[in-house]
This record gives sequence, C-alpha cells and structure tokens, in this order.
Amino acid sequence: MSEPAVEVKNLTKVFSTGLSKNYVVAVDNLSFEVAAGEVYGLIGPNGSGKSTTMKVVLGLMAASSGSAKVFGLDSGDIRARNEIGFLPENPYFYKHLSGEETLKFYGKLCGIKGSELKDRIADLLKLVDLENAANRRLGGYSKGMLQRIGLAQTLIQNPRLVILDEPTAGVDPVGSRQIRDLILKLKEDGYTVFLCSHLLEQVQEVCDRVGIIFKGRMRREGTLDELIQIDSQTAMTLENASPELMSKIHDLIASDEAAGIIEEGHPRTTLERLFIQIADQNKKEESA
Amino acid sequence: MKALFQKSPRWLLVLVGLAIFGIVRAPFEEHTRKKLVDSHLLLPPPAQDAIQQMSQSALMGTLGGLRTLVSSYLVLEAFEHFSNKEWEELRSAYAIVTSLEPRDENHWRDVVWHLGINATANMQLDETIPEFERKRRFNEYALLAVELAEQGIAQNPDSAVIRQQLAEVYREKLKDDCATARVYQDLVGLPEAPQYAERFAGYFLAKCPGHEQEAYDHLLRLYYEGEHNHVASLIITIKDLEKQLEIPRSLRITEPYPDLPGLTQP
Amino acid sequence: MSDSKTTLQSPARSVPLFSISRVWTLAISTLTQLIRMKTFYFLFAFAVLLLVIGNFNFASSPAQALSTIKKVSFGAMDLFAWLFAIVATALLIPRDIEDRTLYTILSKPVRRIEYLLGKLGGVLIVIGISLSVMFLVCAGMIQWQEMGYIADEVSASPNGISDETRQAILLIEKNGFHSDLAVAALASFMKAAVVASVTILLSTFASSSLFTIIVSVLVFLVGHAHTMATNFWLAETDNNMVVQMLLKLFKIIIPNFQIFSFSEGIVQGAALVPALIWQMTGLTGAYLVVFLLLSLLTFVDKEF
Ligand SMILES: Nc1ncnc2c1ncn2[C@@H]1O[C@H](COP(=O)(O)OP(=O)(O)OP(=O)(O)O)[C@@H](O)[C@H]1O
Ligand SMILES: [Mg+2]
Repeated sequence: MSEPAVEVKNLTKVFSTGLSKNYVVAVDNLSFEVAAGEVYGLIGPNGSGKSTTMKVVLGLMAASSGSAKVFGLDSGDIRARNEIGFLPENPYFYKHLSGEETLKFYGKLCGIKGSELKDRIADLLKLVDLENAANRRLGGYSKGMLQRIGLAQTLIQNPRLVILDEPTAGVDPVGSRQIRDLILKLKEDGYTVFLCSHLLEQVQEVCDRVGIIFKGRMRREGTLDELIQIDSQTAMTLENASPELMSKIHDLIASDEAAGIIEEGHPRTTLERLFIQIADQNKKEESA
Repeated sequence: MKALFQKSPRWLLVLVGLAIFGIVRAPFEEHTRKKLVDSHLLLPPPAQDAIQQMSQSALMGTLGGLRTLVSSYLVLEAFEHFSNKEWEELRSAYAIVTSLEPRDENHWRDVVWHLGINATANMQLDETIPEFERKRRFNEYALLAVELAEQGIAQNPDSAVIRQQLAEVYREKLKDDCATARVYQDLVGLPEAPQYAERFAGYFLAKCPGHEQEAYDHLLRLYYEGEHNHVASLIITIKDLEKQLEIPRSLRITEPYPDLPGLTQP
Repeated sequence: MSDSKTTLQSPARSVPLFSISRVWTLAISTLTQLIRMKTFYFLFAFAVLLLVIGNFNFASSPAQALSTIKKVSFGAMDLFAWLFAIVATALLIPRDIEDRTLYTILSKPVRRIEYLLGKLGGVLIVIGISLSVMFLVCAGMIQWQEMGYIADEVSASPNGISDETRQAILLIEKNGFHSDLAVAALASFMKAAVVASVTILLSTFASSSLFTIIVSVLVFLVGHAHTMATNFWLAETDNNMVVQMLLKLFKIIIPNFQIFSFSEGIVQGAALVPALIWQMTGLTGAYLVVFLLLSLLTFVDKEF
C-alpha cells in the first residue's frame, strides 16, 4: 500500500457568517488518512463538520488552512475527480431525466462514450437493482431509489475512491441494508470507500476503520475493535440465563475484592455507548 | 499575484474588468451606433415632447426596446379612436407613434388619411355640431393633415405614399388645384411614384389659374413621349387647353375626341 | 466491476484542459431540461398571437396591415428572446445549487468554465430554436397574407393589370416578406445572448433567482438609456461633477443594449449593411467572452 487514498492534514475550515465578523469553525485542525482499499467511516453528530470535510476533499471548498490530498493529488486538482465518485447528502438529480439518462449524463461528463458507456450503465443499473425503473423519470423515484441511482452515478467512471455523505439517511431499514450490502460489495471489488454517517450501527457493520469527529475535531480513531475494546473491562453476553444462575454469578463477583459489576442489562450497540460517552466528556470539558 | 487575486473582493475585480471592457468598447459602440442610425437600421431616441406625452408604461416599453410593440399598440388604440370618431385622441396617439417610428411612412400616410379624409368627412356630416363649428374644424383638420404630411415627407424624403395621400387631401378636400398639381409634380421621379403622377400634375395645373400654358407644354410633352400616355383624360385636357390658349389649328394634336360614355363632344 | 482491481493500481487518468464535448453534454442537458419544463409551449401562444393580429382588421391598407404583423411578431420575438434569456439563465444555476445537482456535476472531472458555458449554451440553443421556429411561422404568415392581398388587388381590376394595380402590388410587396427579416431574428438572438451573459455574471454573485431576474431586467432597461443619457444629461454643462461622474461610470459599466435593437430598422425595411451586421456579431462575441470570463472570476473558487 503505497499511497493513501485520502490524506487530510491539519485541515481547518472557517466560515464567516453574515456581515458581522462572526466565524464558525466547522473543521478544526483535522488529520486522518484513508488507506487504499479500506472502508473508512467518519462519524459525528449533526454539525460536527463531516460534510464540510468531504467537500474540501472533493475540492468543492477550499481549506482555510492545512491540506487534503486524494491519491497524492491536491484535492483541487481536476484529475483527482476522475478518481472520486461522490454522493452528496440528500442527493437530488435532474428530476426530468430518467434513471438511465441520469447515468448517461454523468458518464458523458466523465468522457465515457458509446458502447462502453452503454455497457457500464447496464452493469450499474443491475448492481443497484434499478433495471426496472431505468426509464422512469427521477421525479417519481422514492428516496431509496434516488439514493441507489446516486450510488450508481458515483461509480460511473469507475473511480478508485467512493465518497458517500450519509448514504442511508432517510432510507428505510430494508433500503439501508441494500445500500450496506452494496458498500460491502464495493469493498470486495477493491474500491476505497470513505463515508460519513451518524447512524452508528451501519458504520459498525461496514467500516474497517472509524474516526469520531466532534465540533470539527477528531476525538478517537482506529479499527472498530480498537475503539470498542476496553482492556480493563470484560463483557459477557449470556443466553437463557436463569435467575438462579445470575444470583450465583453475583455471589461469585461479590466474593472477589477487586472485581465489580459496572453495568448489567440487555446488550446495546457498543459503538453507541462510546459515542455518548464522548459526548458527555465533551460537555464536561465545555462546562469546565 | 495569486495572493492578491485571492485577497481582493471579487466584486471589485469584476467591476474593474467591466470598467476596462467598457472603456475599450465605448468608442467602437458609439461609432457603430452612429452608422446604424445613419443607415436607418437603428431608430434614434424619440423626441423629448413625445416622451413627455407618453403614458408611464408606454415610456418604459419604449425605453426597454419594445418600441415597435408600443407603437403597434398605439396604432391599435388610434384605430379605436377612429371608430369612435375621437379625432383629438387619434391625433395625439399618432403624435407619439410618428415620433417613435418616424421612418415608417405608413404611419404618416395613415394619420394624414384619418385627419385629412375621415375627420373632414365626419365634419361635413356630423349634425350634432353647429354649422360654423363644423366648417372651422373641417378646415383645421384638413390643414393639420397637410402639415403632418409635410413633416412625414421631411422624415421620408422618398416616400410616394405620403405624397399621394397629401395630394388627395388637396384635391378632394381643400380643392386646391395648384397645390394638387405641385404635389403630383413632386412625386415624379421618386422610386415608388405611380406612373399617372406626371399626367395628374398636368391635369391639375391646367385648372390652376395662370398656369395654363405651363400645363399645356407639360401635357404635350407627355403626349409626344409615347402611346402609353394617350389616355382619354390627357387628350381631353390638351384639347381644352388648345382652345383656351387659342393654339393654331396646325399645331393642335390630330387625335379625335375620345369616345367615352357620358362625355359630350363640344 | 471485475476490472476495478486493476484501476486501483493505474495512475490518475488525465483530464483535458478544455473539453467541448463536456460543454455539449451540459448544454444538451440544459436543453432537455428546458424542453421538459415545457418552455416550448410558448410557441403556441406566439402562433395564436400571429393569427389574431393577422385576422384583426384594423389597418387602413394592406401595406399597413403587413407592416403591423411584421412589427408585432418581430417585437414579440425580441421580447421573448431577452426575457427568456434572463429568466432561464437566472433560474437554472441557482436551481442546480439548491438541488445539490451542482455538487455531483462539479465532483466529476468538469471544469467550472465548462459548466458555465454549458448552461449558457443550452439557454442559447433553446432561444435559437425558438427564434427559428417563430421566424418560420411568421414568414409563412406574412407571405400568406401578402399573397391574399395581391390576389385581392388582381381580382379588383378585371380588365388586366393597370398601372394603379401594379403600383398597389409593389407597395404590398414592399411591406411584405423579405429575406432580410432573418437578420432581424438574428439581431434578437444577439441581444438575447448578451443579456444571458449579463445574467450569468449576476447569478454568480446573487443568492437568489428572483434577485438575479430583477437586477438583470433593470440592467437591461437601463442599458437602453445610453444615448439618452448622453443627449439629455451629459450635455448639460451646469450639472454638478458628481452626477457627471456617476453617469460616466454608468455608461462604462452597463452594456449598451440599445444598439442591439437594430431588428426594428430591418423590420421597417431599412437596407442591410453587411459590414455593420458583422461588427455587431463581433461585439456580441466580445460581450460573451468578457462576461463569461468575469463570471468565471467569481465562480472559479466559489464554495457551495
Ligand atoms: N456554507 C456554510 N456557511 C457557513 N457555515 C457553514 C457552511 N457549511 C457548513 N457550515 C457550518 O459548519 C458546521 C459543520 O457543518 P457540516 O455540514 O460539515 O456538518 P455535518 O457534520 O455534515 O452535519 P450533518 O450531520 O447535519 O450533515 C455547521 O455548524 C454548519 O453550520
Ligand atoms: Mg452533513
């Protein structure tokens, strides 16, 4: 693995709002890398700077300071965009075009022509399961269908890197499962995927590595296992545990001086717990 | 340089760009504009007094390049005034129309026709107006038509249609044979002049006291010009003039009196 | 998708500095958008207007009737062209931004100048098609009326064509159809093209379509006052310095739209001067280039 797919270094993005000298620091000295071939998830609450980071990586916005590189190319470099497929959050495409026409339009923008384009469109429509809706105008597409045609659009020029901004926002569980499977398929095929979301469950299911961003700053980063694992703690998930068994376990723990029960109940998404923990920490820091 | 580009506000750079372009194009544009106006492709701005008479919306339209639409609308309005015999309103509508499109001879012709022929006819017939007032206004409209025709001719020196309309006013309404003859004579040689203009000039000159000899010479010249001029009126007028001027028999034209129904041979 | 593993290792594909085919793709997409927004329905309204004018007998003479049809139809064409240029241009770009379609377009290897050119090109193609159709409809209508009037004249003089009849026919023909009228439609197109480029420039600054439309229409109207400004105000020596300076600035900044109204003269039958038409074509080109470059100045690193 020679070159990282995405390399963000000390990225800061400041927005000036209104006429008065008010500033919003959307991204604050952010650094991370997405290795080629991996699925990287940026998670954080609303307004934490996820979309802003993606736009800077795409070159839609200029960094206030720091840099963003895609396969070693500056993000403003137009060649970099040949390597990126981007799906914005809540994507809208021309409502007057059909699914097939939409893909044709984006394909032509990427310089693909003729039978190559035709084959590519057929492949992609099949991939996102929209073959039957290919000739319908997007004005009549459901949210999930829009998201899927959007996903097909990102892949039209066969980019190496796919950037997805909240790919499952507003999509029902079945639809998001479909999209999740697609992302896994992309990974399998060797694409690099950089996605962001605040839906932790999904991130957890597809991402190799995760960065947690809060108020524009990276709080934690690592593989899922690294992030979730707490060395001093051990979790145990029991099945069909009878009350008698539970009382025996309680007794056993009580007999040990050092050990204690921190939490007991039905299992929760561990990543979510971490997420909330960081949010609490953040609140404490702020009030301090 | 790049830093300077990134630091300066964009609207300022754009303004500077616009100013440079403006300064460069101004002389070229003024030159081209003059040439366009000279070749009548572009209409000069309407006269100040026309602007003052226009309604607000007509003015906006005119300034906004909708001049032909505004003038077409006003012509429509003028037609409405004509139907309602509102001659004063018609007159002011055409004052604006002719100011907007002074190069359109049809407008001049129409206003001369409306005032010189229709309005005067209306004055002869309208029983609701007292006799003396009708006479006064008859004359006023006829003379106004003459004045407008002259303005139109000044703007369109080659126009045949305005002169033909003017001649009709002199001939039918003012019964001024000398002026009628003069207008027909003016028509001669214009690109769209009717061929009869030269003959008509002679006919009315013949009726203009003191110009009989002139009329005779004029008509005789036309007579000898070719067969195509040997129309009945010409021959009759020449024969009448021969008698009036007592031309010796040997010099008179040999053509017999034309055999026209309703014409009694003297 | 089996080949994706190989692209993973291949170097970044290069992108041409400027691609006319990308501009074309964007222009055609804009054209499709405008067609599917049913903008061409306007043409029916135009045809109806022509029929009404043609059968509305208010003119005093055939010449006047023909002249009126020409003026109204070419006036309507001119009005359509510039109004459409403003509204379509002002609506399309902000709409792309609002719908985030612009993100997906600009995240493809598309240069921003190509995007602007594509949008402008699409609007101009629509205007070009509409003007051509309107011109043909109008030419057909005028010729049909003209033939009718001539037939009337001929049948009114049963004893062969007299001098007078010939005169009347000549007059009808003079006010009837002439191939020069195609240049009048071209003149409207030039005006619309310049207006569209001004609107593009404004829309790169403005945040809303409505604002762009209002300001563009104002610029357009005010752009007709150049000569008047010179004649009525600059000539007055007792005006104070500030007013004089402001007027000079106005004359420099605001395009002179008045000189693009030369379709009026053509419709009224003025003879064409080819050299002048070429000069105006050149001027139109200059406006397009300069205004597009200035638009690019703001658009090139605009953040969305
Ligand atoms: N164009 C802009 N102008 C001013 N402020 C902006 C702009 N874009 C984003 N911001 C601000 O920057 C911050 C980060 O926004 P961003 O859209 O990146 O958040 P996000 O993480 O994508 O949130 P969400 O989950 O809601 O999509 C927010 O406070 C937002 O208000
Ligand atoms: Mg976001």
